[in-house]
Amino acid sequence: MKKVLLSLAFLSTMAMLQLNAGEQFAMSDADRAMYTEMLENNPADIFVEEGGEILEEALGGEEALAKFLEVSEKDLPKYIAGFPRYIKKLGNVVGLDQVMQAMQVEQGKEKTKLKSGKMFSMLAYVKSLANDELINIDVEADEHIKASYALGKTTYMTARGGRGLSCNSCHSADIIGQVLRTQPLPDLGEVAVAGTWPAYRMTKSSLRTPQRRFQGCMKNALLKVIPIGSKEMIALEVYVATLAQEKGKKIAIPGLKR
Amino acid sequence: MHTKIKCLALTTLFLSSSALFAADLTKAYDMPEATKMIEKDLFPAATEYAMPKSCDLTDPKAIARGDFMFNNLNGKKAKGKLPEGLAKFVEKTGKDGKVKKKPKQYGNCIACHDVEGSKGAGNIGPSLVGYKAMFVDTKVRDAQFVYQKIADPRIDNANTHMTVNLTTGLFNEQEICDYTAYVLSEKKTK
Ligand code: HEC
Ligand code: HEC
Repeated sequence: MKKVLLSLAFLSTMAMLQLNAGEQFAMSDADRAMYTEMLENNPADIFVEEGGEILEEALGGEEALAKFLEVSEKDLPKYIAGFPRYIKKLGNVVGLDQVMQAMQVEQGKEKTKLKSGKMFSMLAYVKSLANDELINIDVEADEHIKASYALGKTTYMTARGGRGLSCNSCHSADIIGQVLRTQPLPDLGEVAVAGTWPAYRMTKSSLRTPQRRFQGCMKNALLKVIPIGSKEMIALEVYVATLAQEKGKKIAIPGLKR
Repeated sequence: MHTKIKCLALTTLFLSSSALFAADLTKAYDMPEATKMIEKDLFPAATEYAMPKSCDLTDPKAIARGDFMFNNLNGKKAKGKLPEGLAKFVEKTGKDGKVKKKPKQYGNCIACHDVEGSKGAGNIGPSLVGYKAMFVDTKVRDAQFVYQKIADPRIDNANTHMTVNLTTGLFNEQEICDYTAYVLSEKKTK
C-alpha cells in the first residue's frame, strides 16, 4: 500500500509538470492511467510466482537457499536485502543469480543462464522474499565488498563510449529532475533502484533486472554494453544500492516502471 | 577380480562423496569479463581544436545537415527526407571481418537543448533559441568557441554534462562544422 501511495504521489507531481510542460514528457495521460491500473495488479506478479515454482522444483526452495547461504530461514530475508555480497565459498562478491547457479552446479544440474527469462523470474522471486526489509549492504564488511564498492563508484563515474558519457553525467545530484528529451532524470537513490528492480518495465512489456536496466542506459547512451554478472556490473549494483540505502529505502519487488 | 571391482566401486564412492563435500564452487557460476571492454571504450582527455579553414559556416547544405543531426538520435529513428550528404546507415567491419550495416549516429542535441521549432526538447543544457542574436552578434561568443564546445566541451568546463563529440571519434571535423554552422545560423521559428 505504501508503495502505491508513494508512486501516486510521484505520478501527481508528474501530472502537474505535465500541465505546465505540454508535450515535454514521455508519459501520456493514457500511459499514466495504465500505470495506475498496473499498480494494483502488477503484470510481473506472475513471473515472481513462476520464479518461486522454479526455485522450489529445481533447487529445493528457500530452505535449500538458506542452507546454501548458511543462514537460518528466519534470517534469510534480511540476508537477501544485503546482496550483492561476498560469499566465501564462491570466492567473489556475487549476485543472488550467481548463488543460484552455484547451487545448480552443486546439485549436478545445468546452470540457468544469467540473462535468461527463467533466471530473471527466479531472481525476482528470491529478492521478493526480502520485501519490506531495509536495503542493508555493509560495504565495510570485508575487503572484497569494499573493493567492489570502490569499483562500482569508478565504473559509475567513468565517461566512455561514443558520446563520452558516464552514469554520473545523467544521474548526479546536480542534474536529477532536469529533462533529457521528454524524460525527467531520476535520482537513483530516491526511486530506490535496489529496492524496486526486478521490475515490470511497461515500455518493454517484460520483467527486467537491475543489471538489465543498467544495460539499457548503456545502450541508449552509446556506452559499450557490459555483460550481466561481470565484476563491474555487480559493483555497479553495490554502488547504486548504497544510494537508496542512504535514504532508508525498503525492498518492494516487483517494481513497476514506465 | 571380485575384490578389484569392489575396490574400484569404493574409490568412486569415496571420490564422488568427497567432491560433494569439498566441491570447489569458485568456478561454478558465470562471471564474464568486462574490464577490457571498458578500457577499450575509453577516449582521450580534453582536447583543444582549432576550427578548420574548410568550415563553410554559411553553406546551406552544412546548416541543413547540422539541423538534422541536432534534432535526431540516429538513422534508425530518423524520419523524413535526409539532407544531402547524410546517410541513414554506415557500414562497419566487425571483428569477424564481416561488414555490418549500423545506424548512423546523430548528435540528438535536442535531448538537452531547446532550439527554434523544437519538439520535446530537454533542459539539461542552456536553450539555444535566439543564439545568433544574443551571443554571436553581441560578440559574447564566436564560431571558434562554439566549434570547441561541440567538439570537446571539457576544455571550457571540466565538469560538463554535455556529450563529447569529436574526441570520442563519433563525429568527424566536417560534422562538427555542420553543427557549428547550424547553431550560428539565423533560424526561423518553425
Ligand atoms: C544520457 C543520459 C543517461 C546516462 C548516460 C545514463 N542514464 Fe540511466 N537513465 C536516464 C534516463 C533519462 C532515465 C529514465 C528513463 C525512464 O524514465 O524510463 C534513466 C533511468 C535509469 C534507471 C532506472 C531508474 C528507475 O528505477 O526508474 C537506472 C537503474 C539507471 N538509469 C542506471 C544507469 C546507470 C547504471 C548508468 C551508467 C551505466 C546510466 N543509468 C547512464 C539517462 C541516462
Ligand atoms: C547530455 C546533455 C547535452 C547534449 C546531448 C548536448 N549538450 Fe550542449 N550543452 C550541455 C550543457 C549542460 C551545456 C552548458 C555547460 C557547458 O557549457 O559545458 C551545453 C552547452 C552548449 C553550448 C554552449 C552554449 C553557450 O554559448 O554557452 C553549445 C553551442 C552546445 N551546447 C551545443 C550542442 C550541440 C550542437 C549538441 C549536439 C551535437 C549538444 N550541445 C549536445 C548539454 C548537452
